[in-house]
Amino acid sequence: MTAPAASPEPLVSIRGLTTVLNGKTIFDALDLDIPRGKVTAIMGPSGTGKTTLLKHITGQMRGDAGQVIVDGRDVPELSREKLFGLREKIGYLFQNSALLTDFDVFENVAFPLRQHTKLPEVLIRNIVLTKLQAVGLRGAAGLMPAELSGGMARRVALARAIVFDPMLILYDEPFVGLDPIALSQVLKLIRTLNETLGITSVLVAHELDAIKQVADLVYLIASGKVVAQGDPKTIADDGSPWTRQFFGGDIDGPVPFQYPAGDYAQALGLAGTKA
Amino acid sequence: MSQRHSYAVGTGLFIVLGFAALAYLATQTTSVANTHQGASYSVQARFANIGQLKERAPVKIAGVRVGQVSAIVLDPKQEVADVTLSIDQDYSHIPDDSVATIFTSGLLGDQYVGIQYGSSKKDLADGGTLARTKPAQQLEEMLGKFFGAGGVADNLGGSYTVKARFSNVGALSVGAPVKMAGVAIGSVAAVHADPVKLDAEVELSIDKKYDQIPDDSAAAVFTSGLIGTQYVAIQPGGSPEFLKNGDEMVLTQSAMQLEDLIGKFLVNGSPSEKKDAANESPAGKQ
Amino acid sequence: MSARPQRNVILNALAQIGEAGLFGLTLLAAVPRSLRYLRETVRQLWFVGAMSLTIIMVCGLFVGMVLGLQLYYVLSIFGGTAASGTVVAIAIYRELGPVVTALLFAGRAGTSITAEIGLMRATDQLAAMEMMAVDPIAYVAVPRYLAGLIAMPLLCAVFCALGIFGGHLVGVTWLGIDNGTFWSNMTATVDVWKDVVNGILVKSLVFGAVVSLIAVYQGYTTPPTSEGVAYATTRTVVASSIAILALDFVLTAFLM
Repeated sequence: MTAPAASPEPLVSIRGLTTVLNGKTIFDALDLDIPRGKVTAIMGPSGTGKTTLLKHITGQMRGDAGQVIVDGRDVPELSREKLFGLREKIGYLFQNSALLTDFDVFENVAFPLRQHTKLPEVLIRNIVLTKLQAVGLRGAAGLMPAELSGGMARRVALARAIVFDPMLILYDEPFVGLDPIALSQVLKLIRTLNETLGITSVLVAHELDAIKQVADLVYLIASGKVVAQGDPKTIADDGSPWTRQFFGGDIDGPVPFQYPAGDYAQALGLAGTKA
Repeated sequence: MSQRHSYAVGTGLFIVLGFAALAYLATQTTSVANTHQGASYSVQARFANIGQLKERAPVKIAGVRVGQVSAIVLDPKQEVADVTLSIDQDYSHIPDDSVATIFTSGLLGDQYVGIQYGSSKKDLADGGTLARTKPAQQLEEMLGKFFGAGGVADNLGGSYTVKARFSNVGALSVGAPVKMAGVAIGSVAAVHADPVKLDAEVELSIDKKYDQIPDDSAAAVFTSGLIGTQYVAIQPGGSPEFLKNGDEMVLTQSAMQLEDLIGKFLVNGSPSEKKDAANESPAGKQ
Repeated sequence: MSARPQRNVILNALAQIGEAGLFGLTLLAAVPRSLRYLRETVRQLWFVGAMSLTIIMVCGLFVGMVLGLQLYYVLSIFGGTAASGTVVAIAIYRELGPVVTALLFAGRAGTSITAEIGLMRATDQLAAMEMMAVDPIAYVAVPRYLAGLIAMPLLCAVFCALGIFGGHLVGVTWLGIDNGTFWSNMTATVDVWKDVVNGILVKSLVFGAVVSLIAVYQGYTTPPTSEGVAYATTRTVVASSIAILALDFVLTAFLM
């Protein structure tokens, strides 16, 4: 149903991905392409598996059918070592930042370097301070994660995610719980990273206003499929019932207000009166 | 980083402390030397009474451990305990007229064999005999060990019975050991009061191996340790006639008042009602 | 769900034991991979071992002192107070040392391991490590497990030393048992293999292996919620205590 994006060789290409979790179909033959060097936003109602989709791209989860091809490699087929090799090129920004509470800010950012390289201490220090400077937190290098505000923690996590200059960064709900200032800071960072380093970015978010400022392409996912895609500035007006409900915030629509349930009358013990 | 450095130092200190504690416990609170058994040679020593000496008990010279007791056998002919000492080869220059004595380490500790050097120029050879010995002290046997009365000879398959009369048996009970020279040779088969003579008649069941006990030997009721079970000790006499099945031993020594005196002396740290109890007759003590 | 609690309790317990066992195999398989994180193991040894020293030392001292006091009272009835050194040493080496150390270790270090790993799970730190191409089993689980395994015998040795010191303090220094008698009786009776090695090394190594496994397993499988962490911590203490005492019986029967 969905035509792949026009880009000749997308960085991430998902074909026919089908995933069933605990009897619930999360993805139903999903097709999706992430173009290189662009900022792509993935939107959708809560519980449609946007975060799950990111986990498929990184190989943390495997679908029941279909292909997830990242930079020419089929992720579900990779061995553990190759998967780890791929992940070194992918930055992932967790919703709750996921900083290692044992270490201070500096060591958190230095962690991937220390684990995967034998760089001299001076070089590690320079790289880490550069990344911290990029997110504006060089002065906070000595703080522990518990001393950071939510926005600062997310920026530190971002610094950690880009410490290896990845080809792809996945942002899982990067705007949740940020005040307007922090939100603008994060937005600017995403944009800057994309423009200056050419890093392909994938955003999972709900905030259309924020997305309009950074994203080049938007996918709207619902019921396990891509139901709409296009330019963020115009997607809300494409006329489909999905976009109308989602961006208009309607209570009822293709996404029902009622969670799927049995017959109401029967549940209330009025089965006899059923028509 | 200095933070990491301090972890490493602290952890190192912890490991060193742990191993130091382990080493201390293993060497200072245990008989670690007991397990060491290098090249050794054996000598014999005969004791009239070995008290509570056990196999693997230490052999010491000037208080230093030089070996261990490897075997204790009662010579059925001579009423002496034949003790084999296994002595470390390093200590091979022991004069052959040295004296072997059974000591107790502390009041209630295990007994050990102490060797005091003689003046002979000849060294004791492998398989030699220490002719001069001193048995375990009677007082020590009285005070005894805190733990147990030693093995009771249960193998009554081949035994004979003799009787002994005591004016007071203390707390002697059926099954208590009968000892000679400190080694169990039988057990008490029955204790009952004689309604006519108004004393206690004790039947001693003695192993057939020991059928050459002089018939003028004396039987005494002793206690092994202050709370240990009481037993009958047989002190050999000099008669050429031996005790036979059904004989009665004439010379007896009843459970003694002395025990209570010593007992009272030793337990005066305990609650006062014990003292009162100890003032009563010995039979009522228990 | 709660209709068949009786059956579920037993089945759940069996399932937990089985899963913990399999998890243990996973840990063992990851030991070679975690050798490159030796520094992390040392760091955990600090948290798990060195940080438990205070409680172990204080408790060891008091256990020894109580033993000294009780033994003096009981033995003085028989005039045998000189044996208290022996009894203190044997009781501590054989039972109290390894068992109390393991129980304290489960309460002090086991819970902190579970809570720490559980929180790392709940705050996506484990997933973040996965994403940074760092194997969390090798980096988080194995170092803590190994640290627990190494720390237990050392802590037990410290506990025993302090326990005997406490017994000595009460028996000799305060109640006046002869110093030489106290030690000579102890050294004469305590056997280095049967008492010290079996108690401190064998028992506490087994306890350390089991308690650490339970703690790491419970932390690693914590549901990523705050209740999840709380329940997992509780389960670590309960499961460890049961495992320690049951294993103590089995080990004692074997080692006697």
